[in-house]
Amino acid sequence: MRMIVLSRTAGVRRWIGGVFIACMALLGAQTLAAHHAGTMFSEEMKEITGTIKEFQFTNPHSWIQVMVETKPGAPPQEWSVEWGSPNQLGRRGIRPSTFKPGAKVTMRIHPMRDGSPAAGFVGAKFADGTTVGSWE
Amino acid sequence: MKLLSMGCVMVLLTASQALGQSRDALPDWSGVWQMVGGTVFDRATATSQGGVLTPGLRERPPYNAAWEAIYERNLKLRDQNQLPDPINTCGTPAGFPRLMNLPDMYEFVVRPEQTWILTENGPNVLRIYTDGRPHPAPEDRWPTYTGDSVGKWEGDTLVFTTLSTKHSQWPTEGDTVLDRTGLVLSDAAKVTTRLRRTDAQTMEAQMVIEDPKAFTAPWRVTKTYRVQPKGTRVYDYGCAENNRNPVDASTGKTLILGPDGKTFGK
Repeated sequence: MRMIVLSRTAGVRRWIGGVFIACMALLGAQTLAAHHAGTMFSEEMKEITGTIKEFQFTNPHSWIQVMVETKPGAPPQEWSVEWGSPNQLGRRGIRPSTFKPGAKVTMRIHPMRDGSPAAGFVGAKFADGTTVGSWE
Repeated sequence: MKLLSMGCVMVLLTASQALGQSRDALPDWSGVWQMVGGTVFDRATATSQGGVLTPGLRERPPYNAAWEAIYERNLKLRDQNQLPDPINTCGTPAGFPRLMNLPDMYEFVVRPEQTWILTENGPNVLRIYTDGRPHPAPEDRWPTYTGDSVGKWEGDTLVFTTLSTKHSQWPTEGDTVLDRTGLVLSDAAKVTTRLRRTDAQTMEAQMVIEDPKAFTAPWRVTKTYRVQPKGTRVYDYGCAENNRNPVDASTGKTLILGPDGKTFGK
């Protein structure tokens, strides 16, 4: 996984942040792999920006449907972003209302290797600055 | 009168033995628990890179040559995303001992005549009879996903044996594995488990798996479970509710379905 560059102000803080990200990635990966292995997704991380269409808070996996901006003037593309079981996520404070239809969001994902508009979820940041999942 | 009292005591003692441990002597296994570590069955064989997603370096269970070849084949299939893990079809139970190796929550419910291991994922129920009944005779047993489990208490430890689990030379036949690497057992497998609460935070299951058809020696695997905060809720698990990762029966590949039900990718 490509490491996100952290603040350079304190070496210790960077190290802790790196460990935190590794742990969160592990947690994220574990949550995703609960039902099946995630071999279809790339280890590389990518950011997409768009509008929430739907949050399927379901077993065996939650799915976040996002309308992602493509080229200016072109229609958005619907992405399917896979996350964990609502049983686990619910115990960590995620709710059906976490991703509201119409909300603007930037998401960090592991996209499908073959370029299909599907991915594994890492983290998200909303317009008001609040974050969900793994986001340093 | 004295003879009658003694007789009553004898009857009561026998009755309590037949019913299993008395309630007062049973340990407290209350709470909600989560397995420690990933869903590789034998954590001792996983490296820092090993686990569900990556091959890593692993020692093998003590397979004989024929079953080692089966496992090698399964590992190659896994590397190509062509291992048709039965859990992906949301159809059949995980079975034993895989149900000791699941994500999500566990509960260990102790009663005098039975102990139940409940897994949120699945869900699964393992019933361990402690009322003195033996395993049925071989001609009266048939393979099931969770098998037949009978046990007894040794102090605070539940010792139980499990027979007649639905194992086979998967995936050429049958549909039970131990984890996503395609670890398999034969239908001759016998598992002896020592289950106890080692401290306030930890449940431990020490398993010894004997398999005269597949192994050259017994295989020891230990799983631990960490207690969750008080008030943790356990939910149902409708695997078939929205399964967008079914297995393609013809290729063994795990698919990803779009919101319209169509398959992503090639």
